[in-house]
Amino acid sequence: MAKQKTGEIFSMGVWLDNPILRQLIGICSALAVTNLMVNSLVMGIGLTFVTAFSSLTISAIRHYTPKHIRMMVQVLIIAAYVIMVDIFLKAYMPEMSKALGPYIGLIITNCIIMGRAEAYAQKNPPLPAFYDGVANGIGYTGVLLFIAFFRELLGFGSLFGIQIFGDWWTAWTIMIMPPSAFFLLAIAIWIAYNLREKHQSEGAKS
Amino acid sequence: MKKTFWYPIVFMALLTAIFTFVLAYMDYSTAERVAANEEYELQTKILYVFDIDFEDSSVEGVDRLFNEKITLEDDVYIYQEGDSIEGYAFPVAGSGLWGSIVGYVGISEDYSTILGLTFTQQSETPGLGGRIEEEDFLSQFRELDISESSQGEYVVYNPAPGGNVDAIAGATLTSKSVANFMNDDIHSFLQERRGE
Repeated sequence: MAKQKTGEIFSMGVWLDNPILRQLIGICSALAVTNLMVNSLVMGIGLTFVTAFSSLTISAIRHYTPKHIRMMVQVLIIAAYVIMVDIFLKAYMPEMSKALGPYIGLIITNCIIMGRAEAYAQKNPPLPAFYDGVANGIGYTGVLLFIAFFRELLGFGSLFGIQIFGDWWTAWTIMIMPPSAFFLLAIAIWIAYNLREKHQSEGAKS
Repeated sequence: MKKTFWYPIVFMALLTAIFTFVLAYMDYSTAERVAANEEYELQTKILYVFDIDFEDSSVEGVDRLFNEKITLEDDVYIYQEGDSIEGYAFPVAGSGLWGSIVGYVGISEDYSTILGLTFTQQSETPGLGGRIEEEDFLSQFRELDISESSQGEYVVYNPAPGGNVDAIAGATLTSKSVANFMNDDIHSFLQERRGE
């Protein structure tokens, strides 16, 4: 694999190869926690942390890891970091820990982390692997926040818990329920696809 | 890559040991803080059930107020103002739509009035059943007179005859379940108390 520049890693993870919009992984949590901006942000930060550090660790010990047990090793490392996030939230952000509930534990099964571990960290040095984890985490967080923006605004009339619309606003209950995330996610993917197509065809012309 | 039989086993065991040690250390060093958080949350909720205002919402302030006015006997919290008992708070629990719902009901000393209600654990749909935790729903149980209620029918939703509380629109199952387990648990609490 050719050596990538840090900038390239970031533009790949955040936009060009965005985990949700392009790779279509990590969707389940994107549907589940996006009814509030705050939940999405904390979930995004949690995932970014876990992806970045598990990629770093997996990459650092990649030469010593026997190939046939690498999956076991990856899952162990990912699980350990997720439990760290869980303990941290319980101790220092009890409210948030309550709001996110089981979803923090479910970061373990988020395909993005395993995907990055297999696709990138296993073959690259620690530092780029770390950047790659951060980039993908940011890409994931960005999409979550985009969806949560519309769901919270239309569903509760607020953003980050601050009331934006007054009493006249009739909350769209469907926006708080899981189905709306399907619609919004599909719309987001469609927009991203079109933007990318446009970008690529312009690139081809010039 | 070393291709011996033992290498993967030793490697895995060592890695597991390292991570277990780190996690155990983190858990150990934050255990007190986590317990304190849970304690604080429970205390504020019990104070809420008895409608006791607290100006000082810091951990120490709530703890002082709590210890001054409330004592725990078995699993019933007793609210005392000076020497006279003002009320009791006891746990109520039942199954919701997605999981268990656990809460506390405060009842006046003469068992004629529900003082308040709070939930400590619930996993209902946010925005629908989850609204049982909102003030709009909970405040209906403030000073709810149950002295005229027939046996086991303390919480009745409008517009049924004798209705005293509004259910949550769009969350029929959660609302029904809450009324059912509240009625059951209040009934058995009162029977136990009156039987004494």
